This record gives sequence, C-alpha cells and structure tokens, in this order.
Amino acid sequence: MDNFTRISTFKKAIRSKAFPLLILFVIMIVLFTALAPLNDANFLTTRTFISILRDLSVPGFLAIGAGCLMVSGGIDLSQATVAAMTGVTIAVSVGWWNLPWYAAVIIALLIALCIGLVNAILVNELNMMPFIATMAMSTVTRAVMMLIATDQTGQMQGSINYNNPTLTLIGNYEIGGFLPATIIAMIIAFIFYGLLLSKTKFGRSVYLIGGNPMAARLAGINSKKTSYILFMNCSLMGGLAGLIYTSRVKQGSLSAMATDQFTGLTAAILGGISFGGGSGGMGGAFIGLLVIKTFNKGMTIIGASSYVTNVLSGALLLAALSFDYYSQRRQRKRIGA
Amino acid sequence: MEQYLELSGISKAFPGVQALKDVGFRATGGKVLALLGENGAGKSTLLKILSGDIKPDEGKIVLNGRELSFRSPHDALKSGISVIYQERQLMSAMSVMENIFAGDIPVKNGIVDYKTLKRETKKIIDQFGLPIDPETPVMFLSIAHQQMVEIMKAYRRDSLVIAFDEPTAPLTDTEIEILFNLIRRLKEQGKIILYVSHRLKEIFEVTDEIVVLKDGRFVTHVNTAETNEQDLIKYMVGRDIGDTYANLSRNDKYGDVLLEVNNLTTYAVHDVSFSLRKGEVLGFAGLVGAGRTEVMRAIFGADPIISGEIKLEGKKVEFKTPKDAIDAGIALCPEDRKEQGLVLWRSIEDNIIMPFLDKVRKWPFLDFKKSERVTIEAIKKYDIKTPTIDKIVVELSGGNQQKVILGRWTSSLVNTKLLILDEPTKGIDVGTKAEIYQMVCDLAKEGLGVIFISSELTEVINVADRIIVMKDGTITGEVLREEATEEKVLALAMASN
Repeated sequence: MDNFTRISTFKKAIRSKAFPLLILFVIMIVLFTALAPLNDANFLTTRTFISILRDLSVPGFLAIGAGCLMVSGGIDLSQATVAAMTGVTIAVSVGWWNLPWYAAVIIALLIALCIGLVNAILVNELNMMPFIATMAMSTVTRAVMMLIATDQTGQMQGSINYNNPTLTLIGNYEIGGFLPATIIAMIIAFIFYGLLLSKTKFGRSVYLIGGNPMAARLAGINSKKTSYILFMNCSLMGGLAGLIYTSRVKQGSLSAMATDQFTGLTAAILGGISFGGGSGGMGGAFIGLLVIKTFNKGMTIIGASSYVTNVLSGALLLAALSFDYYSQRRQRKRIGA
Repeated sequence: MEQYLELSGISKAFPGVQALKDVGFRATGGKVLALLGENGAGKSTLLKILSGDIKPDEGKIVLNGRELSFRSPHDALKSGISVIYQERQLMSAMSVMENIFAGDIPVKNGIVDYKTLKRETKKIIDQFGLPIDPETPVMFLSIAHQQMVEIMKAYRRDSLVIAFDEPTAPLTDTEIEILFNLIRRLKEQGKIILYVSHRLKEIFEVTDEIVVLKDGRFVTHVNTAETNEQDLIKYMVGRDIGDTYANLSRNDKYGDVLLEVNNLTTYAVHDVSFSLRKGEVLGFAGLVGAGRTEVMRAIFGADPIISGEIKLEGKKVEFKTPKDAIDAGIALCPEDRKEQGLVLWRSIEDNIIMPFLDKVRKWPFLDFKKSERVTIEAIKKYDIKTPTIDKIVVELSGGNQQKVILGRWTSSLVNTKLLILDEPTKGIDVGTKAEIYQMVCDLAKEGLGVIFISSELTEVINVADRIIVMKDGTITGEVLREEATEEKVLALAMASN
C-alpha cells in the first residue's frame, strides 16, 4: 500500500535552485583561499566573513521585502529610493530640525509605509502594472527626497550630516566588540520571514497567489489584502535598510543604496524566486546574496580591480540566469506544458 | 510521382501519460486525410510532432522518400510542413501582407519593397477569391478571415503538407463553406492535407480518408466513403458509449430544495430562475457563450449581480466574494482547469488545502500533519495517480488534475452542499470521464446538490437528472433525463426566440 508521504526535506533542499549556489559558494571559498596569498592576503578568516555579512545586511533587508513581494508575483522598483528617502528624512530630522532620534526614525518609517500603501493602491485599485506603478513612485519619491534635502538657503544637499550617538549606534554597535548587531538583526529577519513564507497560512497564500492569482481568488484567498501587506512590507524593509545605512555612515545621502536595489533583486532571482512569482524562498535569497557578496569581497582580497569584479559578477549573474532558464525550459518540455 | 507523407512507429511519453504509442499511417497527395479521436487521443501531440514543436521519443517521418527530423518548428516549415493551429499564430498588429510573407519579406536595397509585397499578396488573395485588403492589420479581420490568412501563409510557403487543427471551431456555417472550398482547391493542387476534427459531419463532407486514434494508439485507417458515423464512434470510444451511462449507479432520493435562483440578472445573463434539490444532478446545456458559466460565477460571488435573488436552503444569501460562497458551502470547479482551477506549479497538497488554509492551522504555523492526512484521503478516495503528495500538479494528466479539484471540494475540511462543475470532463480521456460521472452520482447520493455544465450533449443528457438549456444569457427550456434527446436539447440551445 502506498503511503504518498512527502519527499524528505533533505531531498527537497538538494533539488532546490539554491543548492547549486551553495556548491558555488564552497568553490569560491576554496578558490579565494588558494589565490589570496598571491596578493599577500588571507581570505579564510573570521574577519572576512564578518565583513561579508556586514556588507550583506543592508541589501539583505531589501531582498527580504522584495523577495516576499516577488513570490506573490509583484515587483517594487521604488524600494531602494524609499531606503534613501528614509535615510535622508532621518538625517534631516535629527541634523537640521533637532528632533529626537526615535521621533525621526518613526516619522521616516511611517513615510516608507505610506509609499508602500500608495504602491499597493496603484496596483490593486487602479490595476496598474507593478513595474510601471512602482517605477513612477520611485521618481516621485526621489523628487520629494530632494525637496526634503533642500536647506533654508534653497540649496539642495547631496548628503546631510547629523550628530547623534544613539542613532549612530544602531548601525555600528558590535556585540562583544567584534560581531556587528546588524548581522544578528538581519539573520533574525531572514529566519522570521523564512518561517512566515514556508510555514504559515499567510506564506502559503503568498505562493498560491503568485502561482495563479485567478485560481487563488476562486478558491477564496484574499489576494488584495495579501498584496497590500506585501507592498507595505517591501517599503518598510526598504526603510529599515535605509535606517541601518544612515546610522552606519552617520549621514543621509541622496544617492545611497542605488545599486543595492539590484543586488537584492539579483540575489532573490539567483536563489530561485522567479519573476513570475510562486516559487523560491528566503533561504535561496540569502544564499544568493551570500554568493554575490563573497565574490565581491574575494575579488577585493585577491587584488582584482573593481572593473574586472563588475564584469565578472555580471557574467556570474548571466550564467546563473541562463542555467535557470535552460533547466526551466527542459522541465516544461519534459511535461509538454 | 505520387506525393506522400508516411509516419511510422511514432511514440511520445509525457510524465504519467503515454501520449502516442507506435502510431503510423500514410497520407497521399491530392487527398484529405482526417485524424479522428476523442480528446486525449493524441491528435494534438501528433500535430505538434509534425510541426517540429516537440520531438517524438521514437518513430520516423518520411516525406516523399526522405526521412525528416526536426530540431525546431523552423525545420518543419523548411521541409514543407505547415500546421495551422486553433490559436492563430499571426502578428495581429501587422498587415495581412506582412503576415503572409513573414520571414520572406521582399527587400530592395535593404528596404522593404512594399510594392512587390502588395502585388504578390494580392495575387495570392485573388487566387483564393477572398475579399481581403492586403494592407489591413490582421486584428481587424474576422476570425474566419484570420484563418484564411494562415492558410494563405502556408500556401505562399508552398508547403506540401498542410495540417489543420480543428479549423472550424470558431467559424460560422458560411465561413466553414469558404474554408472547405479552399481545402478542395488545395487538394486539386496535389497537396497532402491532414484535417483534425471531432465533428463527424464535417469529416464526411470534406475528407477522403480517416485515421482513427484512441488513447494514443492507431485504431484504423478507412476510406471515408466506406464508413459511417456509428462505426467511427465505435472506433473512437472502443466500446458502445451507451454502456457507460447505463451502468451509472444514480441517486434516486432527493431532499429539500437546496438552491433557488430567482430572476438573476448580471451583465451577461438575463432573468434566470431555477431551483435545485439536495441529491439532484442538474445539467446545464447550451452552446459555448450561452451564459452558463456566468450564471455560476454570479452565484459563487465571482461576478456582480445586477438584480435578482439567490436562496440557499431557504435563506436569502448575498456573496460579495468567492470566499463568502465557499464559507456558505458552495464549491466551484471552474471551466478552465489550468487557468482558473489550479495553481499548476504547486503541489497536490497545496492545491487541495488551498481554500481551507484557516482550517489546517496549528498556531502560528500550518498543521502539516493534518494537511498531509487530508491530501492522502483525497488521493485515495479519487484514485489520483501520484507517488507523493508533493508532486506538482502540472505533471499530472488532465483527469488526475480534475480529481485534485474534486478532492479539494469534497475533503473532510469542508462541508460542501452545492458543487458546481463547469465542463469537468473537458480534455479528459474516456476512462476517466466514466469515473467522473460515477463520482458525480456518488456525491449526489451523499446529499450534495450538483450542477453539471457540459457542452457535450450526450454527456449532459445522460448524467444529469434534469437539464436546463440556455441560449444568449437566458433559459430557453428544461427537460428531464427520461425525455431528453440530443435533438430536443439542441433545438432549445439554438432556438430563435
């Protein structure tokens, strides 16, 4: 008699899209460790990995928000702008208006949530395509940010300095003097959202909506509510990333985190969250980020120029995407879909 | 020399289904060969192999003595095989002439030579005697004329083999006549023509030979002139269809009135009233687009209601969303399984517990033991062919997919009172169809009210206890099974009011 039970978690992990990345991660470690001495450097140290993880925390928060949204079939191109906006708002509130740091943080995060809400309204009530709606919102947000960054003399400041030890501590506190608290925060966030997506009712509806919104609706799943939550969460995660960044560099910057948006998206896609929605997860997104950041760090340590690094990381992404595309096509062919 | 296309030993397997097994036949120039078979008999797979869309696992395709093997649809076209699908593959914003010459647009000094293009297109259109302007964008043409453009495209390429996949489905009678005249012309020119359809009347009208497929296997190859409808049906079904229905074990005890619909009007249907008792199977017949699906969507809370009332177990209900209807005990298996019923790339388990995530919770997480139990129950109850509960649904055959949806709505998580099945047997093989009929009757015995929508007349008049017929958004009549005949129902479905 068959018992039809699930395939084991182990088998599932091996079959997942993130698994080849994990192998790639190991290969990179071996390669960089072997090559580093040529540049009179050392790759395999605790310091390297702490630094990799620290670099990862800002795009990590972005990837969490963007990843959850992408699983549901949405996308948010305004997230990094929201992150920069949050940083600028905090810096201006504290540095120019002398607000207490907590008030600044609350105001900035509320603004982030509002932008998420507007995104959700544009997509759900006006039926705009997420791609277009959030791109437009990104432009609007950028303009508002420039207004905020305009001082009394009418000059727009590219970066705004502030002086507030408590605020600075958020992004710079090191547990035991060596382990940055932001790393712990990011790991907790990944675990929290990972469990949320894979184990809860909410998470399951996100996958089902991403897989087939029409079928989900006819099965009574409230996709509108889910979409609102995910868009607002995506912006909020952008806000948190902005908070950490601004705290760490002790200033608000208009041009901050512009490339992190794509690092986050890239990591999500590398880790198996497809553009169409309905697949992938937080574990994959984390490993995706880990691979990207380890690669960048390793290239620095072995003394490669940043141009070479950029070219190669682009090539890495292309290779991963072609592999993904190829295996998907094979699967479709196999089942005749 | 005689032109011929010979297939031999063609086999193709998809996970869970042997779509084609050792199929072979020979088609000759100047003749129209019909490919006949039920849904799932393998006709479409065969066409896809001919068009280079999929590769056969085994077998040979020989055209005039030359063995062909395609790596892509392009190879098939180059070898002189054109397949004209149901979904027209035209560039809808481009003009007729650009579509007909797509891939071979005449060029002069690196610039498109519109003069020649127009002249050449006009020549072809005139040969076919069609009233089409070469410069009209294809999207402004009628469906029939779009199809003609497809045919002219094949003709322009000088394809030796032209295969039609259910070409008459979207056409009106006059348009069908135009199409048949075209096919006869192509025949006179010595083309090898394959014609896929399951409309027997047409097959007798336009074809010379018939190849019957059943469950992916070759059954017979006959001359159209030497056969008749009864024989063909027997070949297609493999047994007398009468038996399937005669052997159904039906429910004969009805309960109270379950559903009452009074003067329902929506954007698509007008003044619809009917009622359904517990334990009754109520059929809805009609032509495609008669408004049956729209009535059900309105009842289910998926489409807004303009006026009228719905009573469930005597109480007036108003559902704003499908969720409200589901909570009240109504289940809908939508018309298009893949588009609206299932989340194809998720597991059987996910697809079964989908509407009842609330009921499989162990705060804060989902109760995976419970959902596993419920899923295994459904797999066993409906004999769904799968090794595990987390097989993704897209890998199942059509019949098993339908069983997953049935399993969803009849699981122990839910107290379904009214089950609405919209075309539940579309694209499903004969054996599974019979299983589904029996399941419907069994569910009625359990006291469910079942609404059974089907466009297959024989099916709906033999499975349902009572049949409501719709046309243009209104009910045109009602017949009991005992007195229902295909002619009677068809007359109501096509009645002019």
